[in-house]
Amino acid sequence: MPLVSAAGIRFEQVWKKFRSGQVHDSLRDLIPSLLRRAGTRSAREHHSLEKREFWALQDVSFHVAPGEALGIIGPNGAGKSTVLKVLNRILRPTHGIAEMRGRVGALIEISAGFHQDLTGGENIFLQGAIMGMKKREIEQKFDQIVEFSGVGEFITTPVKRYSSGMNARLGFAIAAHLDPEVLIIDEVLSVGDLSFQERAFARISEMVRSGIPVVLVSHQLDRVATLCTKAIFLEQGKVRMAGSPESCIAEYVLKPARTTEAESRASYPVRIHALHVQSESPIGSGNFVQLVLSGEADEGANGRFDPYNISVRSAQTGKLVFRVQGTSLGLGFPAVGPFTAHIELQMNVPAGIYAIESGVRERYNGQFNHGPVAYVQVADGVRFEGNVQMNPRFRVTHNADLVTQPL
Amino acid sequence: MLTGYDVTSTRLADQIDAQSSPPDAAGAARTSIWGDLVEVMQDVVGARDLVYQLTLRDIRIKYKQAVMGFAWAVLMPVLVVMAGILIRFIMARASGEAVGGPVIGGMAVKALCWSFFVGAIGLATTSLITNMALLTKIYFPREVLPLSTTLAQTVDTLIGAVAVACLLPFVGAQWTLQLIWVPVLFILLFGFTLAVAVFLSCANLFFRDVKYIVQVLLTFGIFATPVLFEPQMLGRTGGRLLMLNPLSPIMEGLRLTIMQGRNLFAPVVVTLRDGAPFVAWSPWYLGYVALWTTIGLVVSVVVFRRAAFAFAEYI
Repeated sequence: MPLVSAAGIRFEQVWKKFRSGQVHDSLRDLIPSLLRRAGTRSAREHHSLEKREFWALQDVSFHVAPGEALGIIGPNGAGKSTVLKVLNRILRPTHGIAEMRGRVGALIEISAGFHQDLTGGENIFLQGAIMGMKKREIEQKFDQIVEFSGVGEFITTPVKRYSSGMNARLGFAIAAHLDPEVLIIDEVLSVGDLSFQERAFARISEMVRSGIPVVLVSHQLDRVATLCTKAIFLEQGKVRMAGSPESCIAEYVLKPARTTEAESRASYPVRIHALHVQSESPIGSGNFVQLVLSGEADEGANGRFDPYNISVRSAQTGKLVFRVQGTSLGLGFPAVGPFTAHIELQMNVPAGIYAIESGVRERYNGQFNHGPVAYVQVADGVRFEGNVQMNPRFRVTHNADLVTQPL
Repeated sequence: MLTGYDVTSTRLADQIDAQSSPPDAAGAARTSIWGDLVEVMQDVVGARDLVYQLTLRDIRIKYKQAVMGFAWAVLMPVLVVMAGILIRFIMARASGEAVGGPVIGGMAVKALCWSFFVGAIGLATTSLITNMALLTKIYFPREVLPLSTTLAQTVDTLIGAVAVACLLPFVGAQWTLQLIWVPVLFILLFGFTLAVAVFLSCANLFFRDVKYIVQVLLTFGIFATPVLFEPQMLGRTGGRLLMLNPLSPIMEGLRLTIMQGRNLFAPVVVTLRDGAPFVAWSPWYLGYVALWTTIGLVVSVVVFRRAAFAFAEYI
């Protein structure tokens, strides 16, 4: 069997079957079910679905080498957590191979092992041991863990008296001090208050950047985009897309919008071939992104098809940020033959990933044909809150002396 | 919608059949009994810090917020002995036999064994489902759950043993070399209890009525073990039947070494009430119990390990 050398994660053609509804769990139900199974047992048992069974994972494959971080995204029920459970040996795949090499650190349900009657300190030892830390290791890191959690003097208080935030912070602090060779993370990025989230995120980034293989499941897509080197987009247990985090996020977020894409494109006489981002990514908030749109117009365009439609959508939320039509800008219609447009958009938006969609609009009936999509990542220039980067300019005087020049 | 789903799934099934990928992982991963045992041993030894922490947790939560604290460890066997004394007095009135110190001492030793068994089995049976949150979220060798519950009960029993040891000199126990049998018998008791605990914890995960059956069996089980009486009191056949219970030779062995200073390599023959001889102890009993313990541990550990992959799905 070919194995991953050194530390690494291998997931090869994994299928996982689940049963919905109740499984027999009293002895009374066992006997009839055994009789039924004895009658129907066959070689195809692992491959076919019986009543109420369904595939939670279908032919899911990926590899994660040291230095790589894989993000798994997708809607609820797509099978993301199942992937982690199979990886983590909590579930056994019905078919296929799941393998991790090296000491595994799992940031999953980080306070699951807590006992409510034990103190914070006692729970650090318990949870640490459950996560696979040695007693001596926990003793060495104990003060750091307490410090990181911000629980302070409550460390000698039973956990049942903790607020839910303290509980989660302590759990995260323990997990954050694991020293793993392989890391899997499930939705633990949104723990505690804002300042703790910042610290948690910084800590996870540190662990990810230390060069170990990482698998991350999160709904916070911007975090996936920032942390991961590659991604898969899962839906209904299948890999819909594997590739760069940006492309997977966009595919996931924009999927509903793109389903109509293939239907009528061929019949349009004006087609967009490409939409390229020319600026360096990431773009500072408030700066311009430069794009090039290219396409071709056939005979019969007849001034009816406008290819200069641009929509900007937040990849995290899927919400439309901005949309403009070429006709509104007075751009006119392309002549027969190839056309190119250089576009500049000022990204007065918060940090995140944005999908820039192109499309061709029929002038009279408003029919819209989706074209290529480009993705840009916007980074914080000046940190701000809210939806719009207002590019603030201050001119400050103290005692009539100019202190700060306008930006 | 549903029909469409079925059609897709059939096609998917065909697809897998057509795949040239490795065969069924379950089949490929199947190991020998010996392989399973070695694996479990390695896993549990590797997780010894976890066993320690879980045992500590079980002990801590038992005594936290309990007014009587560790007195509970002594109280349970004391209650059993009190019940035993009562029963023996009633029987004594019928048979004319006196209830002396050695009888009470023997009962105390055996009651301690019994409360260990009952306590460990009672808690271990539900050990997997009470830790459901852990089982479905985090990987660790699952064997550590029934093991740490049994270990926590062992600590209880050792505290009780100190109390019983203080009592014994007053009821006729002697310091003899034969006391070296005590740890041997305790190891057998621990092994047998662990085997039952591991098996029942696993069974109760799949079938929740197991714990009710266990409760009933533990309640009446005291009459199938020689806690409150000696096997010879049941007559020849009854006594022999009673000694078939693997707990019986352990308890009787403890009583004979502690209260009578007997060497367990030599048989003990007593006279029944009708004057016939009865073999109250034979060295073969040691082998009998060791066999039960070994087979029990092998079967329960292998069954547990092979079922463990399904725990998170069935719980």
